[in-house]
Amino acid sequence: MRAAIILGICLAALAAVPAEAATTYPLTLNNCGMDITVPKSPARVVAIKSTATEMLLSLGLADRIVGIGFQDGPLPDTLAAAGRDLKVLADKVPSSEVVLGTEPDFIYGGWESNFAGDAVGERPMLSRLGIASYVAPAACRTVKPPKLSFDGVFGEIAEIGAIFDVENEAAALVAAQSAALGAVVPDARGLTAVWYSSGTKAPYVGAGNNAPAMIMDALGLANVFGSVDDGWISANWEAVADANPDVFVLVDSAWNSAAQKKKLLAENPVTSRLDAVIHTRYLVIPFPASEAGVRNVPAVVDMARQLKALSFDTAP
Amino acid sequence: MSGLIVRGVEVRVGDRALVSDAAFTTRAGQVTALIGPNGAGKTTLLAALLGLRRLTAGTVEFDGRDFAALPFAERAKLCAYVEQDAGTPERLTVRDVVALGRIPFQSTWRTTLPADDETIVAGALEALNLMNFANRLYHTLSGGEQQRVQMARALAQEPQLLLLDEPTSHLDIEAQLLALDLLQDRARAGCTVLLAMHDLNLAARYADHLVVMKVGRVVAEGPPAEVLTEKLLLDVYGVHATILTAPGSEVPVVIYDRAQSGRRLAKSG
Amino acid sequence: MSWPARTIAYLALWALLLASVTIAVTLGPAGISAGDAWGTIFHHLGLRADPPLSPLRDAIVWELRLPRVVAALGVGAGLALAGTVMQVMTRNPLADPYLLGLSSGAALGAVIFLLMGAALLMPLGAFLGSLGALALALLVAALLGGATPSRAILAGICIAALASAATSLLIFWSATGDSYREILNWLLGSLSGTVWSDAALVVVALIVCAPVILLSGRGLDAFAFGEASAASLGIDVARLRWTLLAATALLTGVMVAVGGAIGFVGLVVPHAVRLAVGSRHRVLLPASMLVGAIFMLWSDTVARSLFDPRELPVGIVTALVGAPAFLLILLRYRRIT
Repeated sequence: MRAAIILGICLAALAAVPAEAATTYPLTLNNCGMDITVPKSPARVVAIKSTATEMLLSLGLADRIVGIGFQDGPLPDTLAAAGRDLKVLADKVPSSEVVLGTEPDFIYGGWESNFAGDAVGERPMLSRLGIASYVAPAACRTVKPPKLSFDGVFGEIAEIGAIFDVENEAAALVAAQSAALGAVVPDARGLTAVWYSSGTKAPYVGAGNNAPAMIMDALGLANVFGSVDDGWISANWEAVADANPDVFVLVDSAWNSAAQKKKLLAENPVTSRLDAVIHTRYLVIPFPASEAGVRNVPAVVDMARQLKALSFDTAP
Repeated sequence: MSGLIVRGVEVRVGDRALVSDAAFTTRAGQVTALIGPNGAGKTTLLAALLGLRRLTAGTVEFDGRDFAALPFAERAKLCAYVEQDAGTPERLTVRDVVALGRIPFQSTWRTTLPADDETIVAGALEALNLMNFANRLYHTLSGGEQQRVQMARALAQEPQLLLLDEPTSHLDIEAQLLALDLLQDRARAGCTVLLAMHDLNLAARYADHLVVMKVGRVVAEGPPAEVLTEKLLLDVYGVHATILTAPGSEVPVVIYDRAQSGRRLAKSG
Repeated sequence: MSWPARTIAYLALWALLLASVTIAVTLGPAGISAGDAWGTIFHHLGLRADPPLSPLRDAIVWELRLPRVVAALGVGAGLALAGTVMQVMTRNPLADPYLLGLSSGAALGAVIFLLMGAALLMPLGAFLGSLGALALALLVAALLGGATPSRAILAGICIAALASAATSLLIFWSATGDSYREILNWLLGSLSGTVWSDAALVVVALIVCAPVILLSGRGLDAFAFGEASAASLGIDVARLRWTLLAATALLTGVMVAVGGAIGFVGLVVPHAVRLAVGSRHRVLLPASMLVGAIFMLWSDTVARSLFDPRELPVGIVTALVGAPAFLLILLRYRRIT
């Protein structure tokens, strides 16, 4: 895993060199505990989940996509035009047969569970059919990924660039995102935050080792649940209330919108007494940007702007 | 007249009559035995008397009262019932089971037995010679012992009418005689006793009155010496038998010969 | 048990219940001392003029911990009562609301109302679901030829499987993104996020149903040897059966709506108590209620504080404790039928 990321970074670094970089096929790499071989630049790709689709679109690979499924939300404005005509296989995870019907040579899944037998299909089975499968590295469960960093996100961009022989596009994207990220000044006021992803009875919150931790870190926010070595956890409200965070990060999704969360926080007899709720100090992030992918950096930039606009005059 | 008077009783389930036009009379102070082959409707008739099955026709009178119309709570103060093979998933001691007989007389609220009830329960345990078993768990007893506990439970109910469905089926011969002696004593003390049974010789020995059923109908009724005839055994049971009289009494004794059809159920060799 | 021993046992149980509540309200991720926790409760009960804690910490005790403690006590008591009644009514020691499909039916009803967007009416959905499951199970048993112990269980297992499958189908159909996560957590049984209105619902359901059940102790005793025996002891069997089954369905529905499908409480508690006090229901029922309440309170306290700051579904705790406990009880009984 780490090797793959280092490889990715090296490839990214190579791509930054003006000389033409090109992938030598067959390309073999280890992805989420499985060796995959890509015989040639994939031409028929199925993308499951928004993160996968948006990665491919960002690298200008719209014409390779034969179908998408399980999209978490609308595409961002920058990719909307490129992704307008993509064929949606299913609103949920498409079944194995639907996916195979598109005759793909590469399947890119945002979650490892997308490759379950009752979903797209087991990876070894796909491999026997000559279909390479790729799990977004940060979402791997078979092999515990290292604590996510932006280098890790850029590594995935570079790796996809290598697989599709679009190293230059990947290098350009990484360079642009690095620059944008470099321009964000982390908040230095020592603010604490809770990343509220979903849930009502027990809040599902961002913990210490995945995209939430990475993004809050870049913003200079101290994650209340940062010490828990996991991506997200079901926490209890008492722990949230006890921490009384300065800011809430609210994940905005169609099924559990930021507005719903604000309402819930304001109406609950306990959370309504929290400083962040009393002073409505919320940062909002769209769900597809809250998992590792090309939208993390734009989200950081956007949230830094939101954070600047918040008033902490009454803060303790 | 005190006793149980059954007139034209019918129990119908769907279009099938389990008991039809049953009529007979039992008197207080007498033991009445309900006999007949399996499936004759004995248990159904007892269930109907208990109010578990609705009478589709006929009346039941006890001591001049419309017995069938009595609410369950009232009926239970007059009448006790001992069923066949009574088992329980509960964890009850013998004393607990016998104490169940006091339920009809207790209020909803009490959690302890009133002193009077304790005495009655002790008396019932004694009557069935169960004092040494009082604290044993019911489900650990043998079938015969359980049967005695059930009879003690029925006695604890201090009934004026005692209905029993084959109360001696699990007992050894001594226990059978003791149980039937007890029932006879109860009857002599003024209780009306009606029991379904299979053993014709015991029925003849202990019952004052026999009621014979066949496919849901009462086909004969009267003192054993009159009712038990070779013809009746052939008609009702399909059995060839010789009826003798016990020496020194009028009690008929049945000597079974063979089944009427002459066939054997299983051939050997 | 003789009456002094029984009185002492009751007093001991009540003392244990009070002690458990006293300790449970002082446990939680927020470090609040026992004195301050109780000071807060006394303040809200009007026994103390000034609140000892800041409004936020006050709310942690009064709005988070206490309603949850009350709900846990009520759910435990209700499930234990429902389990005892089901065991007697089906004459099967393995019966509980879970096994007979009531919980699954309630969960299905609750999920239907939840997905229709009527989260507030979830308890009604759960009640209708449990009543429906019960009616269906009895119907199936009747079609099989009468509600004997084994038929009731077989029918219940069938209904439970059907209701669970329907619930899974609904979740599969309708859940978007990660919204299934909370439903699944709740299906495993969880009291997290319990507010006063939930606790009040549980208490009201108990106030309505518990007296009906507790006052049926005589009838349930009479049921030991089945219907015929109960009838001969003066019990109107049909009326008792319907009254108790309706009370049980209502209790189960409300408990599931508030706490999800919490297993094993209704099964293990009545058996454990029966081993200790015997099968006389006028003693067994109140004792089961108390023990159920205490067991549930501790299970929930463990669920919310053992893996702080994570929440464990309490159904996992009750199953982890309940399954081995049940095995021990089976060994003590050495016979199930």
